[in-house]
Parts: sequence; C-alpha cells; structure tokens
Amino acid sequence: MNILDRELRPWLHGVISVLLGFCVLWAMITFPELHNTFVDGVNNILYYPEKPAIELRDIVKYSSNWVLERSSLRERVTKLELQNRAMSEELQKAGIKVPVPKEGNVTAKITLRYPDDWWQGFRIDKGSSDGIKEGAAVTSEGFLIGRVIRVDRNYSWVQMITSSSFLIAAAVDETRDLGVINGDDRGNLTLLYVPEERKLKNGMGVSTSLMGRHVPPGIPIGRVIGAKESKDGFLPISIQAGAHLTQLYSVEVYSGGDKIE
Amino acid sequence: MIYLIAIWLLQDFVQVFLMGFFIVPNIYLMLLLMMSLLPATRKEKQIILIWAAFAGGLIWDFRWTNLPGMTAALNAGLVAAACFLWYKIPAQGRTVVFFTFILIASILISGFAHFALWTVPSQVALRQFFVQQFLGVPLVIVFSLIYWKVSDRNV
Repeated sequence: MNILDRELRPWLHGVISVLLGFCVLWAMITFPELHNTFVDGVNNILYYPEKPAIELRDIVKYSSNWVLERSSLRERVTKLELQNRAMSEELQKAGIKVPVPKEGNVTAKITLRYPDDWWQGFRIDKGSSDGIKEGAAVTSEGFLIGRVIRVDRNYSWVQMITSSSFLIAAAVDETRDLGVINGDDRGNLTLLYVPEERKLKNGMGVSTSLMGRHVPPGIPIGRVIGAKESKDGFLPISIQAGAHLTQLYSVEVYSGGDKIE
Repeated sequence: MIYLIAIWLLQDFVQVFLMGFFIVPNIYLMLLLMMSLLPATRKEKQIILIWAAFAGGLIWDFRWTNLPGMTAALNAGLVAAACFLWYKIPAQGRTVVFFTFILIASILISGFAHFALWTVPSQVALRQFFVQQFLGVPLVIVFSLIYWKVSDRNV
C-alpha cells in the first residue's frame, strides 16, 4: 500500500521524467545518427499539419516585401544586364566564344534553423526530387554560405561556412593566395594556411577555389578584415562573410557540376 | 488529452508562422500547469499530465531545439514542481494569484533555460527572449482568467 502510495506521488514522476530527459539528451548527443532519424521522423510527421502555416507565412512575407523586393531586383537586373552586355562585347572583341550556361541554381526556403545550432546549419525545403545533391554549394545574395551535407527526398540539411567542421578551399581574389576557410561556431570566419610573409590588405575579396564537382570556383565568400596572430609560419586571416548570415530566409543551391569529375 | 494535442499543434503552427521573427511562448506548458493545478485534478491525472509534458516537450525538442530531452525534462520538471509546491501550501493560499505566480515563474525558467543554451549573438538572443516573455503576458492573463472561472465553478 505504501509502495502504491509512493508510486502515485507526482513529484516522484517528475524526478523520473527529468532524469529520463537527461538520459535522452545524452543518448542523442552520443548517437547523432539516432538523433537525425528521430528529427527526420518528427519532421516528416509534422510536414502536413505545418503546411498551412508555411503557406500562410509565405503569403504574408512575400506580399509585404513584394514592392520593396521588386524595385531592388529591377535595379539589380538592370545593373547585371549592363555588366553582361559589356562583358559580352569585350569577349567578342577578344574572339572568345561565350559558352551557353548548362547549370543552374535551385531556390530553396529555410524551414528550420535551431537557435542552439545557429552558426552550424539549417534545413531547406528542397531535396533530391528537386535536383539537390550532397556537397552542393549554397549561396545567398551571390555569396557562399554553406554546403549541402544531407539530402532527403523533399528536404536537405546545409552546413554553414561558420561551422567549425566546415573546411573549403578558397583564394584571395587580388593576390590568388590559396587557403582554407574555416568557421568557429560563433559566426566568425578564418582563412587558414596563408604564409605569414604574404601581405593581405583589408577589403580584399575571397572566393572559392576549385575543390569539387558541386562547388564551382569563383563564388564570392567575403572580404579580408584583418590578420590574427601568426602560428607555425602561417597567418590566420579574419574574413567577413559577404552574405547576411543572421537574416537568411531563402537560399540558392548550385545544381550543376555533374559533368566535371 | 485532445486539448493538449490541439494546443501543442497550435504552438507549433504559430512557431512555423513566426519562424525567424520571434520564438513563441510555451503555451503547452501553460495549459499543462493550469490543468494540473485545478482543484478537481487528482494525483493520477497530475501524473498523466507530467508524462504528457514530457512527451510534448520531447517532440518539440526534435522539431525545434536540437537538444532532445531538454524541453521534455524542463516541462515535466516544472509541472511536477508546481504540483508539489501547490500541495505544500495551505488550501487557503491556493488562489488564482498564486497560480499566476507559478505560471510566470515557470515560463521564465523555461524561457531562460533555452536562452542560456543558444549560440546566437547575445543581442539577438536577448531580444528574442524578451519578445517571447512579452508575448507570454497576455497568455498568462488569459490562462489566469480561465483558471479563475473554472476553479470558481468547482468550489
């Protein structure tokens, strides 16, 4: 009777549930694959109940931004058209044949970005059925912001350039110095392995270097904003990301590159 | 139980709608606290509500927090602690004012625990935290009023 009475004490169940919660937390941190399975399962189940909210959100967001976006996009299109025309003229003068673009970008919306994993990654609403491939470059406003690391049929996960496990070959536009871009999980970027005798100036651009079939070279990443303390003959360079990494709502995923191996 | 599922889905719906702007207050926890502290609620039902808090929190974690088990532990712990505290004070003290105090304390603890584990820049996180608590104020008033009406009927 005493045991039964004890079993009916809410505080005891509270203690057990708190301990169980921490056990779950430990298990999920220890076995990330299990965590991913559960996250994907829950997200798949909630896909349909959440669909009206996503649609409603898009309607509100796009209708409120429509006028502003339209005028800024028109300006941008005009500018790009002029640049494109000038470049075509120069190429024609030089006798270089302009290749027809065979690849494109897939525009995707961000459907999940964990506050506690803010600088590491996010989920987008496009997957393998939309032509997304693992390793593909992800850009925003023309700047590299990450790479696809996991692809499902209808959604994908993106690892951001600010993640400490993100490494990508990059080159300084003005000097062609090569290095590796790495994040620190706190929103900062560093260009590693630049010899310390190289004098890089603030404001110099940094772009991707050829590293894989899904990350084309020449995608802008950001600008040099300073140098850190020299280490082992190399000078880590602080980079400011070109994209607004705290204000990401939709991104472009590079869908080309299949023919280059 | 149907109310709990409905409120959980409503909270999720609102969070999807407001994603990127602010974080929705823990409406599910507020409902659980209200249901568990009503005069007519027996211990057996409180235990069910504690585990409902755990289950709802766990699914929320898998959907939104990336720390699976944290919201589950927080929700269940807070409901259990509220029940424990509620029955530790004399019956005359179990008023709507005390219920409101428990509600505010619980959502502040829950909100602060999440805030402490975010890696977003402190200014952004702080703004999100304050907006979340600010949005919780009308909900606290609504839940307190409901509690007042329902408990009055039960007395």
